[in-house]
Amino acid sequence: MKLWHSFIKELKLAFRGFYIYIEIFMAVLLLVILLFAVPEKFVSKQSEYIHLNLPQMVKESFLQRMEDNDLDGKSELIEIKNDGEVIKVQFFESDTRKIYLVDNKEDVIKLADKKQQLGAIIKLDDSYNLAYEYYLQGYESQRLKNLFSIIHVENSDILQTTLDEQDVRPLSTSYEQLTDRQNILPSVLTFNGSLLGLFLIAGYIFLDKKEGVIKAYAVSAASVWQYLLSKVGVLMLTGIISSLIVVLPIMGLQPNYWALILFLLTTVFLSSTLGLLVASFYEDFLQSFGSIFLILMAMVIPNIAYFIPGWNPFWVKILPSYPMLEGFKEILLKNGDITYVLWLSFGFLAAGIILFLISNKRYKKTLTV
Amino acid sequence: MITVQNLYHSYNKDDRYAVKNVSFEVQKGEIFGFLGPSGAGKSTTQGILTGLLQLQQGEVSVAGYDVKRSSPEMFNKIGMSFEQSNVYSKLTAKENLQFYRKLFDVETREPKELLKLVGLEGKGDIQAGEFSKGMKHRLTFARSMLNNPELWFLDEPTTGLDPAIAAEIKDIIKRDNKKGVTVFLTTHNMFIAEELCDRVAFIIDGEIKLIDSPRNLKLQYGEKLVEVEYIENGKSVREKFSTVLDKDKKRLQDIIGNYEIQTMHTKEATLEEIFIKVTGRGLV
Ligand SMILES: Nc1ncnc2c1ncn2[C@@H]1O[C@H](COP(=O)(O)OP(=O)(O)O)[C@@H](O)[C@H]1O
Ligand SMILES: [Mg+2]
Repeated sequence: MKLWHSFIKELKLAFRGFYIYIEIFMAVLLLVILLFAVPEKFVSKQSEYIHLNLPQMVKESFLQRMEDNDLDGKSELIEIKNDGEVIKVQFFESDTRKIYLVDNKEDVIKLADKKQQLGAIIKLDDSYNLAYEYYLQGYESQRLKNLFSIIHVENSDILQTTLDEQDVRPLSTSYEQLTDRQNILPSVLTFNGSLLGLFLIAGYIFLDKKEGVIKAYAVSAASVWQYLLSKVGVLMLTGIISSLIVVLPIMGLQPNYWALILFLLTTVFLSSTLGLLVASFYEDFLQSFGSIFLILMAMVIPNIAYFIPGWNPFWVKILPSYPMLEGFKEILLKNGDITYVLWLSFGFLAAGIILFLISNKRYKKTLTV
Repeated sequence: MITVQNLYHSYNKDDRYAVKNVSFEVQKGEIFGFLGPSGAGKSTTQGILTGLLQLQQGEVSVAGYDVKRSSPEMFNKIGMSFEQSNVYSKLTAKENLQFYRKLFDVETREPKELLKLVGLEGKGDIQAGEFSKGMKHRLTFARSMLNNPELWFLDEPTTGLDPAIAAEIKDIIKRDNKKGVTVFLTTHNMFIAEELCDRVAFIIDGEIKLIDSPRNLKLQYGEKLVEVEYIENGKSVREKFSTVLDKDKKRLQDIIGNYEIQTMHTKEATLEEIFIKVTGRGLV
C-alpha cells in the first residue's frame, strides 16, 4: 500500500516535471521519422553496369536470356546522365537486379565509379571461353573478391551442381523478415524505451536530493526501498507508453505484446537500478554527467554491431544493450524466439535486483541530517 | 524514552569526532534540549537517534527500540521536524501532508487541521515551491505532527521564523508536551531552551559539558545580582552587589540604611552567561 501511494505520488511529480514530456516527445518524433523519412527498404535492388564484348551470335543469346528474366519481358533504352555527359544504355530489370548494358568499356568504368555499383566486362578469351572483368569499389571484402576469382574457373555446370548440393542454413533469418524500417525498432526500443530510464531516474533522484525529501521518507514508517522502487515503477510505466507509441503504428499486431511488455519491464528495471546506483555517488546532475555519459556511450557500441552484422566481437556482447537489441528483435519477428526473450528477461531481472539491493544500502547509508 | 551511552560519531570515520562520548537519558513526558553553538554536534546526535545517520559506536535506544536494529514501525511513534525544510515543491501543501500520512500505520491527523495550526490556513492548495522559507519550515513542522508522535524530534524548531510565528510554534510544542508528548529539541537559542526545556544539555565540540534544568543551573551558577542607584554627596551612583558574597551583602545593607535609593533591580544571569561560564564559549 505504501509502495502504491508512493508510486502515485511519483507519477504526479513526474507529470508536473518535464522529463516525462521529453520522453513522450522523443517517442513521437522517432515515430514520425520512421514513418516518413525511413523507407521500408533502404536499397531495393542491386544495379550492375555491364559491357558485352562478344561476337554477335553469343551476344544475342545473352540478350535473349536477359529478356527472359526481365520483369516485362523486354528491355528499354534509357539515357543516364553522368558528370554532364549522357550515356545511352539498354536497361533490364529482373526480380533481384537492375542491369544496364553499356556500349563501351570506358563508360562502364565511369558509371561503376560514379554510381558506386558493380561494373563488369564480359568477353571471349583466346580459347573462346567467356572471360569476366569486374570493376569493384575497393572496399569489398576479400571473400567477395575471392569468390569472383573462382566463380568462373570451373565449368559453370559443375559449379551449379556443387551449389545445389550445399546445405545452406541461414544463421540469421531476421534480416530478411524485418523490413529495414522495422529493423531500426530494436534500437529505438533499447535506447528510448529501456536505457533512457538510466538517465531519467538519475534526474528524478537529483531533483529529490536538492529538496531533501528522502530524509523525510527515511523517518516515516515506510522504507527507503519503497521510495526507490516507486520511482523505478514510474519509469517502467513511461517506458512502456513511449515504446508502444512507436511500436504499435509500425508493427501493428504482429509482435507478441506480452513478451514486449515483460521485456520492457525487466530492461527498464535494470537500467533504472543502474541509474539509481550511479546517482547515489553524486550530489547533482552536473557531477554525475561524466559517468552517465560514459555508460550511455558504452551502450551505443552494440548498436553499431547491430547494424554491421559482420562485426560483433565478444566484448560487445557483454554490454547489456547487446542482449536488449537481440531480445527486442526476437519479439518483433513473426516467429521470434520467445523462450530466449524470457531467459533474457530473467537475467535482466536478476541483475536489476542485485543493483537495487546495493542501491538501497547506499541510499540508506548516505543520508545526511 | 531515550537512552544514549558513550555515543561517538565521525563523518570521515577517523578520530575527528563530530560527537564524542555522549551519554544522556530522556524521560517520558519531558522536553529535553540540546543547547550549543552551531557545529557543536546537535544535529548529528539527533540524526543518529532517528536512524538517519548510521550508529558507529555506542548504545542508543529510542522509544523502546534499539537503533542498531531499528525497523520502520518504530517511526509510527516518532515525529521529526528538520532544520532545513524538505517538502516536495511540486506538490501542494495539502498533497505533501496527504501523501506523508499514508506512510504510517497508525491513526493520523487531518492535514487541514494541521495547516490551520501552523498558520497556513487557506494555503493548502498552493504548491510548496511557491512558499516562502518560513512557510516551508512551518509545513515541515506540521508534517512532523501527522502521526501523533509520542516522541517528537525538533531540530532548531524556531530558527529563521519571525517572532510571532516562533511564539505560536513554541505554544504548540508546550501544548503537545502537556498532553504527554516527549520532546527532544536542539537549539542554539538560549531563550527557547530556557522557556521550553525541562532539562538542557550544554554541548560543545561534540561533548556534553553538563545536563540540568534551567532553574537548577540558575540557582547553581547564576549568582543573583542587585543593581542599586543611590545619591551620595549630591551625585547619583550606580553599583552592583552579589547576593551571595558576605562583603557585598554588608555593603548593600549599609547603603540601604544610609543613602537615598533611587532605583533597585535584581538581575538574573541568563542561560547564555551560564553557558559561557561553564564552557568558556558563547552560543554563536
Ligand atoms: N555531512 C557531513 N559531513 C561531514 N561533516 C559534517 C557533516 N554534517 C555535519 N558535519 C560536521 O559535524 C559537526 C557537527 O555538525 P552538526 O551536528 O550539524 O552541528 P549542529 O547541529 O550542532 O550545528 C560540524 O563540525 C560539522 O561541520
Ligand atoms: Mg544543526
